[in-house]
Amino acid sequence: MSAKSGIGKAMAHHGELLQGVFDHIDGYLRRGLVSLPYPALTSLATFTPNARAEITVSPTGREKARRAADLTIASFAQVRTGGHIQLVSDIPIGRGMGSSTADVLASIQAVLDYLRVFPTAEHIMRIAVDAETACDSTLFKQQAVLFAQRDGIVLEVFRKPLPALNILSVDTTPESTVSTVEFEPARYCPAEIEMFRPLRSLLRKAIDSGDVRSLGRVATASAVINERFLPKPGLRELQAIASRYDAAGLQVAHSGTMAGLIFDPEDDRAPENMHLARKAIDALGLVSAPLKLERA
Amino acid sequence: MFERVRPRNLEDFEEPRMVPLGGHLFGACFFLMKLLPARFMLKRAVERGQLAPGGTICESSSGTFALALAMLSVLNGYRLLIVGDWALDRNLRRRLLQLGAELDIVEEPHPIGGFQLARLERLQEHLRRRPGSYWPAQYYNEDNPISYSKVAACFIDAVGPIDCLVGTVGSGGSMCGTARYLRMLFPDLTVIGVDTHNSVLFGQPNAPRKVSGLGGGIVPANVDHTQFDEIHWLPASEIMASAHDLHGRHGLFMGPTSGAAFRVARWWSDSNPGKTVVAIFPDEGHRYADTVYDEAWLESSIPGWNGTRMEEPTAVSSPTVDMTSWAKYPWRRRNLSDVLGDLPPRI
Ligand SMILES: Cc1ncc(COP(=O)(O)O)c(C=O)c1O
Repeated sequence: MSAKSGIGKAMAHHGELLQGVFDHIDGYLRRGLVSLPYPALTSLATFTPNARAEITVSPTGREKARRAADLTIASFAQVRTGGHIQLVSDIPIGRGMGSSTADVLASIQAVLDYLRVFPTAEHIMRIAVDAETACDSTLFKQQAVLFAQRDGIVLEVFRKPLPALNILSVDTTPESTVSTVEFEPARYCPAEIEMFRPLRSLLRKAIDSGDVRSLGRVATASAVINERFLPKPGLRELQAIASRYDAAGLQVAHSGTMAGLIFDPEDDRAPENMHLARKAIDALGLVSAPLKLERA
Repeated sequence: MFERVRPRNLEDFEEPRMVPLGGHLFGACFFLMKLLPARFMLKRAVERGQLAPGGTICESSSGTFALALAMLSVLNGYRLLIVGDWALDRNLRRRLLQLGAELDIVEEPHPIGGFQLARLERLQEHLRRRPGSYWPAQYYNEDNPISYSKVAACFIDAVGPIDCLVGTVGSGGSMCGTARYLRMLFPDLTVIGVDTHNSVLFGQPNAPRKVSGLGGGIVPANVDHTQFDEIHWLPASEIMASAHDLHGRHGLFMGPTSGAAFRVARWWSDSNPGKTVVAIFPDEGHRYADTVYDEAWLESSIPGWNGTRMEEPTAVSSPTVDMTSWAKYPWRRRNLSDVLGDLPPRI
């Protein structure tokens, strides 16, 4: 252990393209999701070892990040060490953008960097789930995955990463926040459970063929199903704007307040349509911001 | 690592095989479509505590739903009673008996509701006499349409985005269930229901019908009329001729309702080139070897069945008009009462 310290970085997400329950090969249903990564916002962690017995964190109160660093030491360090995690993050809290998960993942990776060990993404995700109860899928960059956010396992690996997307980001309730973990997981009725089968099929087709239209259809359907559990004020109006300006669809943070109109970067008319959609969203009294997601 | 081996109870037979039929038309060929809703309804009944191990199932059916229930009852150790009528042909009777089912055949139709209502009344007597027995009730049970998520997923896996769905309507489960799932993703999907003359499902006056599996004398609660953009009515002759066409041109040996769906889907597909169309073919032809596929039987039951095939349907101004040939009506996703005003009997 020659390094003096280790660093780790993790990104935010802009909610999900799909969230629901899905068959796993073990024959059981699992909660699962596909996050929409938001690489421009990050949490950066620095781990500095010290002679104390425990791990500390700053800013204080980021208990999950501290626990994640502690679990990582316990799993991988040959000699138990104390240390300090310093977090610097620009991810808004309580918007369903994965601020807490990003702190956790950055902290795990900072400790791993210090220890110079390189476990698989799934192994890292399991530590993250142990520290945080639920987690997102932003760590998987080479190929998109359907991730069981409460079990820390991958339900399905798609053949490709997500295609490039243009998102018009809207905070549906800027004045309130949602705590992802305290938020009770959706209790889907049997009919809703069945709805996720065709959604998963179209998602797979859309990712494998880079079809942004179909991806948008899946995201819209998932957002509509989620209305029974965490309704977004103005979702109908946003849906109307999405179809008026030929957006591919509408995605939401299923346990947050964010929504995003999805546009296809390959569509020549998208810039003009995004401009008009922004004006229409302004007229609703909401604020929107464009963001570009490159193909990973 | 070992994977847990799960008994799949014929689940591998539930999914259709998707066969390209030229242009952008695909046939969804089921071995026995009703295995899917039957398995799903029984599973849900067990979860709700309505069906205990070794319990008794009672159902009214003269066709494939009875067969599916009988197959699943053998596998899962249930007792099964089927109330049927004339449409329960000799071969199917024999199979049901070999599968250990008990049969009660209704001989007299109800004066208004026909055989369907007579069967349901008889079924009620059996249910009263056997407390604790379970009635799947495919005509009302919401789990019937709900079970078709797997079919919608299978269509998407095979052909991707879909523009048009065509199929016959009996209980309504397959068409309305599949359409609802597909419309969550493809709101502009065109849904075309295929019925037959003298069936009250979409407003024809009730009279004897010659083909079983589609249409009926009472309107099942599982028929969600608001799913349909267009309704077609086919006479028995066109249905039979089309089943033979499907066999003769594409090598697919399927039941008469498959023929009916093929007739309408082929026409719609040819009139809308470039659109992806899926037609539902609910069962195979073997059950009908002595009827639909026996030319002597056809000649005596449906004289002139192979004479003329219409090129296209006749547009009718109302679903209630007297029909002699292939007819179509723009339903436009309306309720039955919005289309007709006054209602035929509904269960
Ligand atoms: C052979 C056959 N085709 C089609 C149907 C119609 O399907 P559904 O009941 O789902 O409307 C049935 C229903 O009994 C059937 O037996």
